[in-house]
Amino acid sequence: MNAPLRRAEIDLDAYRANLDLVRDWMDPVEVMAIMKADAYGHGLEPIALAAVDAGIRWIGVLTVPAALRLRAIGVGEDVHLFTWQHDPALDFRDAIDSAVDLGVSNAAELQRVIDAVDQRPARVHLGVDSGLHRDGATADAWPELVSLAVAAQRAGRIVVVAAYTHLAETSDDDDSAAVAVFDRAVETAEDLGLDVPMEHVAASLAGLERKEFRKDMVRMGGNLFGIPGADGVSAADLGLEPVMTLTASVAKTKRVPVDTGVSYDYTYRTATETTLALVPVGYADGVPRLAQGRVEVAIGGKRYPIAGRVAMDQFLVDVGDDEVQVGDTVVLFGTGERDELTVLEWAAALDTIGEEIVCRIGSRVPRVYEGHDVEGRVGEYLRGEP
Amino acid sequence: MSAFTGITVDREALIANYATVAEQVAPAGVIAVVKANGYGHGAVEAARAFVDAGAEWLGVADIDEGIALRRAGIDEGVRILAWLHAPDEDFRRAAQWDITPAVSSVSQLAAAADSEVPAVHVCVDTGLSRNGAVESEWAELFDTAGRLLRGGARTRVEGLMSHLSNASRADDLDQDAALQRALDGLAANGIVPDMVHLAASAASIAVPETRHDVARVGLALYGLSPFPDRTSADLGLRPAMRVTAAVLRTIPVRAGDGVSYGYTWRAEADTRLAIIGLGYADGFDRALGNHVSVRIGDRLFPVVGRVAMNAMHVDIGDADVRVGDEAVLWGDPASGDPAVEDWAAAIGTINYEVVARVGRSVERRTT
Repeated sequence: MNAPLRRAEIDLDAYRANLDLVRDWMDPVEVMAIMKADAYGHGLEPIALAAVDAGIRWIGVLTVPAALRLRAIGVGEDVHLFTWQHDPALDFRDAIDSAVDLGVSNAAELQRVIDAVDQRPARVHLGVDSGLHRDGATADAWPELVSLAVAAQRAGRIVVVAAYTHLAETSDDDDSAAVAVFDRAVETAEDLGLDVPMEHVAASLAGLERKEFRKDMVRMGGNLFGIPGADGVSAADLGLEPVMTLTASVAKTKRVPVDTGVSYDYTYRTATETTLALVPVGYADGVPRLAQGRVEVAIGGKRYPIAGRVAMDQFLVDVGDDEVQVGDTVVLFGTGERDELTVLEWAAALDTIGEEIVCRIGSRVPRVYEGHDVEGRVGEYLRGEP
Repeated sequence: MSAFTGITVDREALIANYATVAEQVAPAGVIAVVKANGYGHGAVEAARAFVDAGAEWLGVADIDEGIALRRAGIDEGVRILAWLHAPDEDFRRAAQWDITPAVSSVSQLAAAADSEVPAVHVCVDTGLSRNGAVESEWAELFDTAGRLLRGGARTRVEGLMSHLSNASRADDLDQDAALQRALDGLAANGIVPDMVHLAASAASIAVPETRHDVARVGLALYGLSPFPDRTSADLGLRPAMRVTAAVLRTIPVRAGDGVSYGYTWRAEADTRLAIIGLGYADGFDRALGNHVSVRIGDRLFPVVGRVAMNAMHVDIGDADVRVGDEAVLWGDPASGDPAVEDWAAAIGTINYEVVARVGRSVERRTT
C-alpha cells in the first residue's frame, strides 16, 4: 500500500554516514557499535548487517540471546559481539560455543561462565563498577573477580579480552573520578598477575568530549543513530544525521464547528470552525499522552500541535483551513528536512532524551529500510535471500 | 532458581473479568477489545481467554491486528471488528480474513462493498471528533448505505457505532442522543442495524444508558479500573498483568554515592542496591526513578536513580535480597503487589498507557 497507517523509516545511508564520521573522529581507536534494545528501536538485524558491511568488527548487544540472533543470520566470528547483562538463569554454553564476548560483573557470575566451558575457552570482559552502580565489580569485590579470572585463564577455561566500565556522565569531575577508579582497578589486576589486553570505558558522550577516556575502544550508540547526548548540541552541529523518521498517513479529515470538543475529556476545544486531521499513531505506538500541547507534527511542510488527548491508537491535529487530505504524510519526527521536529527536539519537549523516544516506538509501527546499503548483506537479508 | 523477568498474564483473571463484565452489562453483549497487543497483555493469549470465557466478538484498531489474530488460530466462529483504516484500504484483506470493518466515510463504505465484505459497521462521530463520520456527512453516508441495500449489494450494514469522550455524564448522554439521530437517519434509508454500540469500559459501568446492544470493553477485561477514584477491587475486577524481574546482582554503595545516569539519587547512608534488567526500552519510563517501589518478598523497596535503557536500581538497604530473587513491579494489589496505577500516577498518566506501552522486548507468559 502506498499510504500505510504508520511507519518508521530507517535510513541506512544515514547510519552508515554516522558510522564513518564517528570512526573518523575516533581513529585510530576502535569503535564498538552499540545495538542494545533492538538497535535502539531501529531493528537489530538490519542495523547490524549494515554495520558489518561497513567494516565494523565490534558490536555491543547487551544480552546473549540478542548476540545469538546475529550469529544465526550469519554474523561471523570475525565480528565480536559484546554482551554484559545476563539473566541469573542463563546457560552460557551457547554463547561460549558461538564465541560471544561476555562481560562479567562478579566472581559468582564468572564462575557460572567457567562452569559452562566445554571445549572452547570463554571470551570474557571484566567489568569495573566505577560509580554508575549498575554492572561491574566494586573495588572490594574486584580482587576476587580478577584472581578467579587469572586462575581460569591459566587453566585454559577463559580468555580475558578486556576490562571495561560504564560512566555515569553526570559531570566531567564525576567522570574523571570514575576513570580514576577504573585505572586503579586495572593496576590492581596487573598486580594480581593479569595481563589486560584491552580497555573500554567511554560511550557516546564521553567518547566525543573526553579524548583521554577513549582507551582502546569507544562504545558508540546514540551518535550512530543521530542522537547525540550532549546538552544543547544538535545532530546537525556534529554532522550526524538522524536515522529514524516516524511518519503516518492522515486517516481522516473532518470539518467541525467552533467550540467542538476534541478527544477524551474534551481538553481541547476548537477556537473557530476548522478542519481536524486524524493521525493514526497513539501512546501504544510510543507517542506519549504527555505529548499533548508539547510537540508539533509536520504536514505538507507546516507544523501543527496535537489537539486534545493522545489516545491509545491515534491523535488529532487542528489544521485550520489548510488543504490537508486523507493520505497526506504526517511527519512526527525525523531529520528536519520536511520541516518536522528532530527526535532531540521531541525529547527536549518531553523532558527526556532521544534514546527513550526511539526505543519506545512500538511494534505496531513497521520499520521500513532505505538507503544504498540495501545492496549489501543487509539488502540480501531484507529481501529474504540467504 | 531464578525469578522470571517479564509479564505473567493470569488467564483465570481474564476469564473471571470477562464474566464479571458480561454479567454487569447484560442483556447487552460484549466486544472484547484486544488492540495494541491486548493492552500490552499479548493479543493472542488475551483473545483466547476471552473467547474461552464466551466472547463472540473481538475488537481491534486496525485490520493487521485482526489478521494477526486469525493467523494465530482465532477461527471464524469469532467475529473481529476493526475500525482504523489506512487511507487507501481496499478491504480485500478484510474480506479474505473475515475481519468486519467499521467504516467512517462514503469512500470506505464503497470500497468495502466493492470488496464484497459481508458486513460492515458504520462508525459515526457523536462528539469525540475522532474517526467517525461527522453529522454533516451522515445524510450522504446513510443514503449510500441505503442504495447499496436496495441495489442488492452483498455488503450489509450490521452495526452502528460511536465512541464516547467520557468528559462527563451529561456529555456522554448528549452523544447518546446524537447516536439516536444516526439510528433514525439509517432507519429512514431502510437500515436497522442488529448491533448498536457506544459504551467502552468507563461508560459501560458508569452510564448504563449507553450500553445499547453491546459494550466494547478493553481495560476492564484486563482487570483495571477506568476511573481514577475507584480501584479494580471496587469494581470486582482482578488485574491480570503481573510484571516481575529477577535481581541480576546486588551492589553495596556508600553514603553519598550517586546512582545511575546523572546521579539523580544519592545514598544517604551506606546501603545496597539490587539491579533488575528492565528499563525504558522495555516501556518503563526514565522518569519513574525515585517515584515508584517494587516488591521483593513481603516488602516494598524504592526504585532509585534514573531508569536506564535496560535496567533500574532498587535500594534494598540491609534486607536479605539475593541474586535471582523476584522483584514485582506491579500486579494485583489485593495480593500485596504494587498497583499499576501507582506507576501511572508517578509519571502523570493513566493505567491504560502504562500497560499498553510495555514493549515486545518483554517476555510474556500466561498462567
